[in-house]
Amino acid sequence: MVLPIFTVVLPLVVAAFLSLIVKGKPARYIALAGSLVSLGMVALLLSITSNAPISWFSLPGLSVMLTASTQPINLLLLQLIAAITPLIFIYSIGFMDVPSEQGRYYFEICLFAAAMMLFAIAGDFITMLIGWELLGVTSYLLIGFWYKKERPPLAARKAITTIIIGDVLMLMAALLLWNSYGTFSFASIISQGAAPLLPMAMVLVALAAFTKSAQFPFHEWLPDAMEGPTPVSAFLHSSTMVKAGIFLIMVLLPLFIAANMLPMLLIIGVITALIGVTNALAENHIKRVLAYSTIEDLGLMTVALGLGSLPAALTLFVVQTFYKALLFMSAGSIMRANNNEESITNLFVPSTSKALIIATIIGVLSLAGIFPLSGFFGKAGIESASNSIIVYAILSVIGFASSIYIFRWFLIPLRKQAQKRGVLANFRTLPKPMLAATYITAALVVYASLLYLGVLPWLSLTPAPIPIAAAAAETTITLIGLSVAYVAYMRLRLKKMSEAHRAAYLALYNNLAVNAAYSLIARLFNAIAWVVEGIDRNIYRAFRTGAISPILFARLLRRMEDGQANAYVAAFILGTLLLLIILVV
Amino acid sequence: MFPIISAMLVIPIVGFVLIALLKERMSKGIAVASTAIVFALTLGLLIYSITTGNANLSESYSYISSFGIGLSFRLGIIPLILLFMSSIVLLATALSGNHENSRPRAANMLIMLFQIASIGLFTSANFFMFFIFWDIGVIAMFFMINVLGSANRRQASIKFLIYELLASALLLLAILMIYFYTPVHSFDIAYITSNIAMIPANVQGAIFALLFIAFMINMPLFPLHHWLPDAHTEASTQGSMLLSGILTKYGGFGMILLFGMMPVSHSWASYIALLAAFSTFYAVFLLMRQTDVKRIIAYSTIVEMGIVMFGITALNSLGTYGAVYAMLSHGLVVALMFLAVGSLKHLFGERDINILRGTVLNAKATTYTFLIGTLAMVGFPLSAGFIADILIFLGTLQSFGLLGLIPLGALILLGSYMYFVINRSMLATREHSRNVDYIGMQQRIGYAFLMFFIFLFGVLPFLLLNLVKL
Repeated sequence: MVLPIFTVVLPLVVAAFLSLIVKGKPARYIALAGSLVSLGMVALLLSITSNAPISWFSLPGLSVMLTASTQPINLLLLQLIAAITPLIFIYSIGFMDVPSEQGRYYFEICLFAAAMMLFAIAGDFITMLIGWELLGVTSYLLIGFWYKKERPPLAARKAITTIIIGDVLMLMAALLLWNSYGTFSFASIISQGAAPLLPMAMVLVALAAFTKSAQFPFHEWLPDAMEGPTPVSAFLHSSTMVKAGIFLIMVLLPLFIAANMLPMLLIIGVITALIGVTNALAENHIKRVLAYSTIEDLGLMTVALGLGSLPAALTLFVVQTFYKALLFMSAGSIMRANNNEESITNLFVPSTSKALIIATIIGVLSLAGIFPLSGFFGKAGIESASNSIIVYAILSVIGFASSIYIFRWFLIPLRKQAQKRGVLANFRTLPKPMLAATYITAALVVYASLLYLGVLPWLSLTPAPIPIAAAAAETTITLIGLSVAYVAYMRLRLKKMSEAHRAAYLALYNNLAVNAAYSLIARLFNAIAWVVEGIDRNIYRAFRTGAISPILFARLLRRMEDGQANAYVAAFILGTLLLLIILVV
Repeated sequence: MFPIISAMLVIPIVGFVLIALLKERMSKGIAVASTAIVFALTLGLLIYSITTGNANLSESYSYISSFGIGLSFRLGIIPLILLFMSSIVLLATALSGNHENSRPRAANMLIMLFQIASIGLFTSANFFMFFIFWDIGVIAMFFMINVLGSANRRQASIKFLIYELLASALLLLAILMIYFYTPVHSFDIAYITSNIAMIPANVQGAIFALLFIAFMINMPLFPLHHWLPDAHTEASTQGSMLLSGILTKYGGFGMILLFGMMPVSHSWASYIALLAAFSTFYAVFLLMRQTDVKRIIAYSTIVEMGIVMFGITALNSLGTYGAVYAMLSHGLVVALMFLAVGSLKHLFGERDINILRGTVLNAKATTYTFLIGTLAMVGFPLSAGFIADILIFLGTLQSFGLLGLIPLGALILLGSYMYFVINRSMLATREHSRNVDYIGMQQRIGYAFLMFFIFLFGVLPFLLLNLVKL
């Protein structure tokens, strides 16, 4: 039986609506089943599906098709999503223990996964936009999941406002490209090469991709998105949502090259990565550190794309999925055991929960880029792809700083001893599904390291060459970073930055400035609105006066016929006098 | 063939008479039955058109034959889409718009009157009928505001009437000019369209200006939009649903007729496009200063109709059909939004976003409806608005180049403010508004009914668009 390839999203869509209907506890198993069916379908994909385009609608002069693309890169992302989704659901079984909210939770998260899958196999702009915007809206729902609290709705609004900008810009780009090329299909646009309006369109695509992938200046929604449930963060930061923008740039990379836009990508990527690293160094919220770290990783991917090195970007793209999911899962477990404490200075991890610590160490080392864990291939690959000494130096600094912040993140909770008995017990009674998902993901991180050399040839790409010297340099820098962090946080036991370091703190923790800039822009638009409102009131007043003036004139005329004889006589005498004067003069 | 259009027109007339004669408590049932029958007939027409691939239909009855006055109907793809949209909105209005069930006889008689106007206007084949049904619609709406509205209804309704009567006076003048300047003195739209060259060029310019201003008031566009927010603030929920959902589409439909009829419009198109784009942004900025949810939705109508006008000025089939699709989408969406706002007012006794708080706790269905309506309003994929946006802006891109994309930017502002509204008054915070009432099954059915069609035409756009032939 041959089905359109889009059917891979069906199990999740069905599961979404089923879990909305059944509500309560069964929803979790429906969702898990849906994701497993969908994983199975992805595995069988090539034999049972066809990727012939489906005609959606047509008018004279326009026919819109829904096209799927089964290029290796699409299948790669599809498999990543299909693999991560069941893990997230397993983790959620332990995490999501509020029975009344389960239907809604699984509905939203299933739809989110389905949207991402649709996005992953989209072969044209219209199909992609459907997935893209659905992704945005479901992420809004998920970030604002705890809408009864104060902060989640604010975070959700920040996200959706950024995302709307991206949606509209992307729609503009798609229409613009259709106008130049007469098609929405990625493949045929790429095959036609440059066109007059291509640079304009690619700027729009890049900006839209930046909103989804949290690149400067649209990055600030991502740390706030930590208000969502932890499994959502793990999902959103690993294989979905934030990867969408980067993935789109990867797919359209030939067009970016044709439009000479690589330098722009490089610059934005470097800025974003620096912002991510500095904030991660100063941040104390356990999940927000990871969020800034995601921003850094995404920035590095943009840097790799800006260097024109698809293999380097792809490698980090794949390996980051696993280690970031792992770190978020551990963070979720640690937070839960500490009664949802959020600051790393107040959290602690007892040395007795060894398995969790080992899993976390795997994630931490992978993120820092220690050989032979998968992160190493990602980071070293990008560093070796750099084309100038300046870029290489910046990347090395970023790598050094990222090894410091991630060890800081890891070591500060470790250095304390348990103060409250309850917490130790909590670690012992952490829900099994949460731990299971964490361990499976840790295994995947290790596996991805082994797989690394196998994946890229399958994508018909040669792996980014990593010279021994570059590998050695990268490892040395990371190890120095580790030692610095160890000395600073385990030996010297540095605490939060004090008032004396305020200048340094503000320089690092620059999200305050970014937020101020955001509200300045909002205020600017409000000011315009205020001015427009004033103008509008005056226009109406002018109309009103204009409309009333005949009535005023009529009132004047009425005086002539109001029957007041003495007024008539007075007017008569005055008139005669006037007439006489005119005649005489 | 069975005269289906005149049959459709007879049903609300019968309904009108029955509501007037029978007991007041039966009036809602009659109104719902009548609108449901009309809905079924238009649905039948639509299915017939889809299966045969042909939407054209005409009927005519002579009345004053010496003047060429009579009832003559014609149906094409554009009238059919608008007719279908209006029948959906009217059914939803009759079924769920009147939360308090206040003055059912008057409300339902006016709905019947409005249905007569809408059927007649969208199917009229001559300008004489067009004018008559236009005025019936305006008068019905005037009484809906004046009789059924809230505290300041008299002032708002008079304001509405002054603007709309100015529009119909200009319309009448233009129609009479057309009549006297065509050699055979005709009101027939098809005939005038094919023989427009016989009217002297300067007269054509005058006629165009008159008709344009008339339709512009009704749409409305800047700077003649001031009647709309006030009318909405004071109108009943049913009045608002019909006002923004259908009445403003009269102007849009008229614009499409006008631009199809008069070649002189082509020389003005780029200026009008500028006006439309300006009107869109102007309305968005005004919208951002509103705190009454109903006024916010009212201003969104001006935004959307600006985009519709912008699509029409592209002067190509994509822009025009995009405008029609946008009117379809917007008619349904705005009706849904006003229904939801009506429920909020009914539930909490309040519409101000500074007072409403955490409505999602006590009014889940209504709040989610509002959220879905917001999505559809900013053109979320799989809602009809997305298709409309694609078509309109492809059309304007072809005509105006890059500049043709600018009004899309208004959607960013619209969307951001709508999410601000949702955040402020619907989600969040420990305090929340207490509900004073409950909404019934009828409102829920109304939500589902409107939403179904918003997404039907978004998911299966080929149903309507594949009918388009040049």
